[in-house]
Amino acid sequence: MYDLVIRNGRVVDGSGMPAFNADIAVQDGRIAKIGRVAESGRREIDATAKVVAPGFIDPHTHFDAQLLWDGYAKPALSHGVTTVVAGNCSLSLAPLKAEHRMKLVGMFNQIEEMPLKAFKEGVVWDWESFPEYLARIQKGLAINVGQLVGHSVLRLWVMGEAAMERTANPQEIAEMQKLLRECLDAGAIGLSTSYVDMDETLKPVPSRYADADEVDALASVLSEYGRILQIVPEFYDPDLTIARLDQLAELSIKYAIPTTFSPLFVSADNVGAVERVMARVDEQFARGARVWPQVQTRPIDISFSFAVPSLLFIRLPGWYNVMRFGTLDEIIEAFSNPESRAKLVAEASSQMALWSFLRLRHVASEANQQYVGKTLAEIGEMRGVSPLDAMIDVSVEERLDAHFIAENMGHNLDDKVGGLLKHPRVHIGASDGGAHILSFSTYGDTGYLFGHFVRNQGLLTLEESVKKITSDTAAIWGIPDRGLLQKGLVADIVVFDADAIDRGVEVYVQDVPGDGSRYIRDAHGVDTVIVGGGVAWSAAEGYTSDARGAILPPAIDPVLERIAA
Amino acid sequence: MAATLSPVRKSILPHNGDSWQSIAKRELPGTAEGDAVAMLQSWNLHVFMRSAGGVGRLRSDNPILPSDVIFVEPPHA
Repeated sequence: MYDLVIRNGRVVDGSGMPAFNADIAVQDGRIAKIGRVAESGRREIDATAKVVAPGFIDPHTHFDAQLLWDGYAKPALSHGVTTVVAGNCSLSLAPLKAEHRMKLVGMFNQIEEMPLKAFKEGVVWDWESFPEYLARIQKGLAINVGQLVGHSVLRLWVMGEAAMERTANPQEIAEMQKLLRECLDAGAIGLSTSYVDMDETLKPVPSRYADADEVDALASVLSEYGRILQIVPEFYDPDLTIARLDQLAELSIKYAIPTTFSPLFVSADNVGAVERVMARVDEQFARGARVWPQVQTRPIDISFSFAVPSLLFIRLPGWYNVMRFGTLDEIIEAFSNPESRAKLVAEASSQMALWSFLRLRHVASEANQQYVGKTLAEIGEMRGVSPLDAMIDVSVEERLDAHFIAENMGHNLDDKVGGLLKHPRVHIGASDGGAHILSFSTYGDTGYLFGHFVRNQGLLTLEESVKKITSDTAAIWGIPDRGLLQKGLVADIVVFDADAIDRGVEVYVQDVPGDGSRYIRDAHGVDTVIVGGGVAWSAAEGYTSDARGAILPPAIDPVLERIAA
Repeated sequence: MAATLSPVRKSILPHNGDSWQSIAKRELPGTAEGDAVAMLQSWNLHVFMRSAGGVGRLRSDNPILPSDVIFVEPPHA
């Protein structure tokens, strides 16, 4: 008798080969047989008319904090994601000395929009080293985690406050190399760095004070382990992006390491620019470099309220500073006081076209319910004011508990995005799962891939889409034993309805520690999600207590390494 | 697919302690320093505007970060 048998499914095995009908048997956490399974299982799943695929791998997330209170990375797991990579963009929660904790919380708050209160009430700070952090999240872990080491964090550990002021000297670089080795020995999947991010004081993050010698030295350590380097380039400018990918390519060739950069967006105003970047990617791959651009599936929607600083206002310094540094009462006062309000209105009035098409999605008061679902242009007309004044008035009336959405802000040209997703040298990712929780839902991108680009648009096949987010991702990141449905591999499996899978409707929920809120999307069309041979979530049962998540890759056993050598 | 690289806009990574002036002297030696600095600044607004806007300011007189890409020619047509 097997532990688990999935019967009568349409197997899409992650290799890109055509789907076929078969049963799958699981024993001791691994795939024991694919074919006709005569023996019964202690648990059986009927997958008739459903797809059985390898669990999806999300390579760009910021679940670092959430994993401390939620080992399922909800709701990502329910969408079929069985492995997430955390620690992107130069930020990880380890290694981290006690005196730098609040600095890092500030950076997570500024860059990833993680609420300060969630850290305050959801995190027990009982680690400093990287192995201690991994041990901490491994308790109750239901989803697999590949954990990057953040370059900014390495610098903070070695250089302290100087990490935010200057280049490292040779001794400090050597200390960073030693620390990175310790992290890789413990099971780090690679290193992340950033060339664009700013900290909570709007100063560049520590990784941006590193010179090329420092990055080269750290890449040499990655080479010892064959591990990946992830960067955030200046993605808003194609010349800068190309310069960065050239820099990555030199490191990739010199040290024979994979590299990846994210994000890469395509919109009506930058089609030519993205074509230039992709032409350069092709050239660098032809030279033997591995420089994987990450492209997200979903279009850019931004939700916001005046209560938290939104990316939407980053180009309006007056607005952004009020929202970033003001208390709730101070923000209300800034928009109520005639003098300060006039200045803010003047600053934003040149973007009236933008404000006009924003939509009100939520208010608390009964009086303003009549406006929910309407654009600011419509609300302004009803009230006899401009769309901008309508947005400010409603926000003040609601004491900032008024939520708006800017839909289809970019990355919404189906044929262009679909073409990128299909490109053999494009890596599907960049969901930002676990971050920007009050700006947009970062969950369900895989459902959107299947629902929108496979089923509705027909721009990718089911098989190639599954391959992209399973075996391709596992190969790029060096994730062992996963990404394919093959006998002997770990049984990370998702069962879904290809005719129904989608990203679901975005909803506003209050489930973040510290009475915090976020936007999420519940899974749609996913039937069962299996991690390490155990059912971690199913549509019928929800999340189960069968938590078999692992840290990937596993820690290096020094004894086995010596034997291998 | 070509194994060689097409020409792209020429850029450098700063040397330790580089300023607009030191980059101008090294990368644009045939140009008067004032003109060279002005050209560099106009080609690198992603760095130059940092100090002008006060956002991400490193030092009041030198906004160049050690990791910055600095273009040493204008955008290609």
